[in-house]
Amino acid sequence: MHACFTCLKDQFGPQTMDGLTLGAVYALIALGYTLVYGVLRLINFAHSEIFMIGVFGSLFAMHALGIGDADPTKTGVVLIVTLVLVLIASMVMSGFAALAMERIAYRPLRKRGAPRLAALITAIGISLFLQELFAARYGRDQLGYPRVLAKRELFNIGGANVRSDKVLVLVASFILMLALDRFIARSRLGRGIRATAQDAETAALMGVNIERVIMLTFFLGGLLAGAAGMLYAVFFETIKYNIGFLPGIKAFTAAVLGGIGNVRGALVGGIALGLLEQWGATVLGGQWKDVFAFAVLVLVLMFRPTGLLGESLGRSRA
Amino acid sequence: MSVSTGRRWRLIAAVVAAGVLLAACGGDDNKSSNAGSGKKTVAIGFVGPLTGDNANLGINVRDGMRVAVEEANAASKDYTFVIKPFDTQGDPAQAPGQAAKYIPDAQILGIVGPTFSGETRAVLPDLEKAKLTMISASATNPGLPTVVNPETVFHRVIPDDDVQGLGVANYVAKGLKAKKVALIHDNSDYGKGLWESTLKGLAPLGVSTALTDAIDPKSTDYSAAVNKVKAAKPDLVFFGGYYSNAGLLKKQLSDAGVTAKFVSGDGALDPGFITASGAAGGEGAIITCPCKLATTDAGGALGSFATKYKSVIGKDPGTYSSEGYDAANIFIKGVEAGKTTRAKLLDYVETLSPYDGLSKKIEFEANGNVKGGSVFVYLVKSGKLVELGTTTDLAK
Repeated sequence: MHACFTCLKDQFGPQTMDGLTLGAVYALIALGYTLVYGVLRLINFAHSEIFMIGVFGSLFAMHALGIGDADPTKTGVVLIVTLVLVLIASMVMSGFAALAMERIAYRPLRKRGAPRLAALITAIGISLFLQELFAARYGRDQLGYPRVLAKRELFNIGGANVRSDKVLVLVASFILMLALDRFIARSRLGRGIRATAQDAETAALMGVNIERVIMLTFFLGGLLAGAAGMLYAVFFETIKYNIGFLPGIKAFTAAVLGGIGNVRGALVGGIALGLLEQWGATVLGGQWKDVFAFAVLVLVLMFRPTGLLGESLGRSRA
Repeated sequence: MSVSTGRRWRLIAAVVAAGVLLAACGGDDNKSSNAGSGKKTVAIGFVGPLTGDNANLGINVRDGMRVAVEEANAASKDYTFVIKPFDTQGDPAQAPGQAAKYIPDAQILGIVGPTFSGETRAVLPDLEKAKLTMISASATNPGLPTVVNPETVFHRVIPDDDVQGLGVANYVAKGLKAKKVALIHDNSDYGKGLWESTLKGLAPLGVSTALTDAIDPKSTDYSAAVNKVKAAKPDLVFFGGYYSNAGLLKKQLSDAGVTAKFVSGDGALDPGFITASGAAGGEGAIITCPCKLATTDAGGALGSFATKYKSVIGKDPGTYSSEGYDAANIFIKGVEAGKTTRAKLLDYVETLSPYDGLSKKIEFEANGNVKGGSVFVYLVKSGKLVELGTTTDLAK
């Protein structure tokens, strides 16, 4: 292993740009982990499969719109309409998949007062079930994915080529994260989520419908994971039954890094992990990417056990 | 449970296990003789990935074996050959679990596989202990013959990565006239091995190495490596790894505006490369392989094999199909010559007189490597793989 610090200095612009792009996707997925944890104190390990359903949802939507693998890229209004339709389709599919998952895998357990460990096992079970279901239906090899957005360099800042697809990922993720932040801070339903996260029993006594809040939380997490899945698919143009696994693990890490249960923490954690991985790979080589990123995670948790922002969902305010 | 009952249970378990073992060994002759036709059933194991990320390479080998077995069964008066497949997903961690299934199976006289180098390394000590002959159609890591010392069971019908690496280096330096290359691998036994062999081959040819890096094969994002390649501006990028990663890497390089030539090894030789890269993203990629792709329009034995393969399997032969066919045929010839125990068959393969295979004339060195062998070059052109020739010819 030899460290190449001049590499990072010379390639700082492009490497940072790519780290940010991937970090934004991590952050979107991390929000799903954080929201559910904030309300239920449960790690929904099947969230990576909600993301995977979003990836597949985007492909189904493309096919439904009659877009084939070898079709030319779209431009102008057609491009925007296609992207918006595909994004909505992915979000809706993942959102309802998350709702169904809550209904089938978590609610029956909660109603019977099962320990949290049991919910963790059903989470792993449903995750494997969904992976194998998609593997059986669509095969284990990767499938082709059509290119709708031409990967064109828009402009150049400090050697970083700002490309159309990276801009799409960054802009779409930040709009969605901002919307979620405002929704939780300002809306009536968001207040319900915060109240439940702070103290579920008191919230129930004050008239908050806890079951509805839980459903809403899963649905919101699903919507964001679906959006992340669509952006990931359009960016990498690859699709496979286990595509959710690695981003899922990374996003969970990002949520912990930022402070699990904290909405803004998920954003900070996602971006931080994306950048750390990229910079680590630049200096130490690609094979040390995870070693470096997870070493930093352990270090952060040693000094800040509750993550970088370490605040709970209940206390996040406007 | 008291100590004495515990001991009694253990004794009973031991007796039962021994009984099963004896039945398995002793019952071999009676069990496998087929009363109806008077033919004896002999099994050849297939070991490799049938599912998982790079399953196509394993499936190609197995399908090549299927053609060999079908032909043998039609011709043989004394034996019925069957293939017993063991799916390792190509994963070194899953290989020993499968080995625990096929090693005790007395009907299996030899195995074709394991498909990948990493999984081969993981099971070689056990195969050696059981004296179960293996002929891999595709495991090319140069270190494999020395995993167990002294070894007898290891064989492969394709040249190792040192041969391929030298061929690639020669072709890159003299055929493609590259001056400055970037070398990337996927951190697997195979990918890193081929990467090292190529690196070793390039050094004396006056080609400078602009960059060496690795990617995470589980990931889909190789932007760190792509940015480094962009900064280093090489004439050529070499990647040691398998097709799904190779295709994605090629696409990401093209998208980033890298115009350097892209070269990869046998693990990348699969239509799955083009699925991953897209037809446009994969255009111009060069893939080398010590293997011979059989096509229906090729003449001679290779062409008639491809036709037969298409009618039996229902698709065109892929990478290592012809090698899988050859490996299975070596076992079949041995059994037909009356070598119907593992020990006799091992002896037969160890002292194999030159066998006129589909892919090449096959003869093993003492360490199980195949003698000689050419490295072929394929080009991705309009979403298809086209053969250009051998590295020796192209380097002239």
